[in-house]
Amino acid sequence: MKYGETRFGASFFPKGAPFFPSGEKTLYFLILASVFIFILWPIAAVLFKSIFIQGQVDFSEYITLFRNKKYLLGNSVLVSSLATFLSVVLGTCVALYLTHCRGKGKKLIFGVLLLSIISPPFVSSLVYIMLFGRRGLITCKILGLHLNPYGWHGIVLMQTAGFTAIAALLILGILHRVDRNLEFSAHDLGASTLTILRSVTLPLALPGILVAGVVVFIRSLSDFGTPIIIGGKFTVLATQAYLNVVGLYNMPRAAAMCMLLLLPALVAFVIYRRILGRFDYVGTGAQLETGRKRIRLSRGIEIFLALVTWGYITFEILKYGTIFAGAFTRTWGFDFTPTLAHLKTLSGTKLESFFRSLRYAFMAGAIGAVLGVIIAYLLERKKIAGGKALDFISDLPYIIPGPFFGIGYILAFHHPPLMITGTAFIVVVNCIYRQLPISIKSGTAVLKQCDPNFEAAARDLGAGEKNVIKDIVTPLMRPAVLIAFINTFTMTMITIGAIIFLVSPETKVATVDMFGEIKRGRIGAASVLANLIIVTVLAVNLLFSWLYVRKGKKDRD
Amino acid sequence: MHKCKFWFLMLPLVLVFAMAIPLKTFAANQELNVIAAYNAKHDIFDKFSRDTGIKVNFLDMSSGEVLARMRSEKGRPLADVWFGGGVDAFIAAKRDGLLEKYVSPQAKHIPERFKDPEGYWTGISLVTVDFVVNTAVLKEKGIDIPKTWSDLTAPQFKGEISMSNPSISGTAYFILYSLLSAKGKVKGWDFFGKLDKNIPFYAKRGSEPPQKAAIGEAAVGLAPGLWKGLQDQGYPIKHVFPEDGIPWWPAPVAIFKNAKNMDSAKALVDWALSKEGQKYLKTKDPRFPARKDVPPPKELKDVDKNDFIHVDFIQAGKERNKVVNKWQERFAK
Repeated sequence: MKYGETRFGASFFPKGAPFFPSGEKTLYFLILASVFIFILWPIAAVLFKSIFIQGQVDFSEYITLFRNKKYLLGNSVLVSSLATFLSVVLGTCVALYLTHCRGKGKKLIFGVLLLSIISPPFVSSLVYIMLFGRRGLITCKILGLHLNPYGWHGIVLMQTAGFTAIAALLILGILHRVDRNLEFSAHDLGASTLTILRSVTLPLALPGILVAGVVVFIRSLSDFGTPIIIGGKFTVLATQAYLNVVGLYNMPRAAAMCMLLLLPALVAFVIYRRILGRFDYVGTGAQLETGRKRIRLSRGIEIFLALVTWGYITFEILKYGTIFAGAFTRTWGFDFTPTLAHLKTLSGTKLESFFRSLRYAFMAGAIGAVLGVIIAYLLERKKIAGGKALDFISDLPYIIPGPFFGIGYILAFHHPPLMITGTAFIVVVNCIYRQLPISIKSGTAVLKQCDPNFEAAARDLGAGEKNVIKDIVTPLMRPAVLIAFINTFTMTMITIGAIIFLVSPETKVATVDMFGEIKRGRIGAASVLANLIIVTVLAVNLLFSWLYVRKGKKDRD
Repeated sequence: MHKCKFWFLMLPLVLVFAMAIPLKTFAANQELNVIAAYNAKHDIFDKFSRDTGIKVNFLDMSSGEVLARMRSEKGRPLADVWFGGGVDAFIAAKRDGLLEKYVSPQAKHIPERFKDPEGYWTGISLVTVDFVVNTAVLKEKGIDIPKTWSDLTAPQFKGEISMSNPSISGTAYFILYSLLSAKGKVKGWDFFGKLDKNIPFYAKRGSEPPQKAAIGEAAVGLAPGLWKGLQDQGYPIKHVFPEDGIPWWPAPVAIFKNAKNMDSAKALVDWALSKEGQKYLKTKDPRFPARKDVPPPKELKDVDKNDFIHVDFIQAGKERNKVVNKWQERFAK
């Protein structure tokens, strides 16, 4: 990767790699400064808050945590590990089914996977209680069971369901690239399909599987909503950090918990960066395969994969079906008469929040995409001083749990010169920088596929740097911008973890309204909002992926 | 050609984007930002806007969150007005210098014990604790509707009672503090010990127990106020006011220190405390009005005010840490 290429001690802009036309050097410094301010400073602010109590260095919060609350860290790691293991296993099965089997309905599977990565959090937990609660539709009304749904098992189940989709898509990306000739050779040499999968396909896909594991692990660690709603007595660090802010008014302890949460995340992060040195997962444009060009798996394995995949997909369809039905059911659990009454709850201020969400998401998406792609270009093509630091810092938001990033922003930006709490700016900026790692990755993925000699050739032919950027780099980067835009847009539309700490009455967004409705127990109204968000995000996603595919086709023609 | 198509596709997006903007221009010339913890906020602030022409942006936030955020932002106002919530949080905010002093002309109609003596906050209404009971669940289990706190300790309620965690929820803390003071320390702690056996887990928000009872996840939820919204949705719930003591506290309104829209903020406080305002509030969220000259809503006409447990709110705020820690030692892991 770029580490080796970055030379410290070399002059800022060595020969052979001309920087932007003069004057635009400032751009680089601005970007570097912004990354320090909007990523590193909030993290440092949380650290300071946890160790400076009333103006003195004081580790008492950490001592209390380790003495009395060690189990919290244990709980967090336990739940995340289980959810990660299950999601990765399921995700691998789904991905294998998509690439290696000849079943029907792959478009449907793909659509459901997409749906579940773009739906807002809390939706799962809401459905869990609607379906599997003590008086849930399935467990109680249909099966007549009286189970206790609250506890770690509920969290693991719903997190697994939620994260399997992202794991499957990441693994799918790398399975596409596994050379099928290797599989055929093994087949011709007489290996059974199980052996081929075990000793050829899966080892080759291992980096993707590991990345999927790390991504799921970190997401699960930072999920505070699911344990709040369905954890019962069982609680985890992220939840306690959130509650320490909103319930106990104890910011230093919340900060210390955030720091503690960072430990397992950092371990995962180190693994992630090691692997990513060799592997890029974004922008692989997961297409569908029919499975015809692959080795034929044995009947047993095919049936097994099909069962697992369709089992999962059925569960997900049930989940979204429930949310859809919830929006049009009079009183879930007691009176299942269809009604349009809940639609009326979408009154003035809620629509306003929804459109505000859309505006913020467009802004964050557009700015974030451009910023990410520029940083990617700088990192990938220019040998710049501080490049390594820039690369490392801009990757950090990936492992910072949402509440941590939100609390950090409150602590960092409430006094001059950067007094931006309570403004729209802070919400948008938070979303941009939280998604920056993905925006950058989508840029580097595209750049890696393009030969730098194109740019060199143009320069040799006498093109100025301006023309190189305008005529060569910009057109090349268009797909990267699209992917980065759509990711930041989607995440801004559905996020809540960080911005719940940053919104003010004037900057309230749709997910905050939805969370409020869930808090008030208005399942119908919450479902209406959830549906509105899901449909909007899905429409924008489909539109953009269609653009992306068309663009790809045109380029090939 | 390609570019053309690109923009053709972008057009709907741009339109959506543009649609979002005119909504903002509907805004009246005056605006007001409110942090609210009150039921039926939409209706209440709509009515206020119609009456005064001031547009309200509001955000639902728990009292603890307001305090935590204001403290970490070094007193920077989150909004103009803080509307409803736990009186303990308002007392703490006053102590921290986060509130603006404002004695509304209407405040003279509010009894002394519902307002701050120095005028930093004024009670709008009284929040009373009640049992939200799911009649369908009780019928199915063949249990009678509980009438007193002691009823809740009966073994048939095992696993069927939802209460929030007093270290997080103001409602639960007032239940704890009030019953301890009504029953006396020894009997009080003994009661919570028995109650604890029937509670499968402590909810993390004050608003959760009534909701859990409504959807049948619990038979009884210990709740702040009446949950008209849940009843209107058709859940089979009934509100029961315990005969052996009703914890209560005033839900205040206050103006944040250095509020941007000071005049509009005062207008909202005056409106909420006025006779008409109080009448409107009680129809939307049925609570006891703070004003002497406004009768309680019909939903509360059977409630005997003699059952109220009176506590000293300032003392309750001071003892909070001590009491909560003791509770946690006993009942929290």
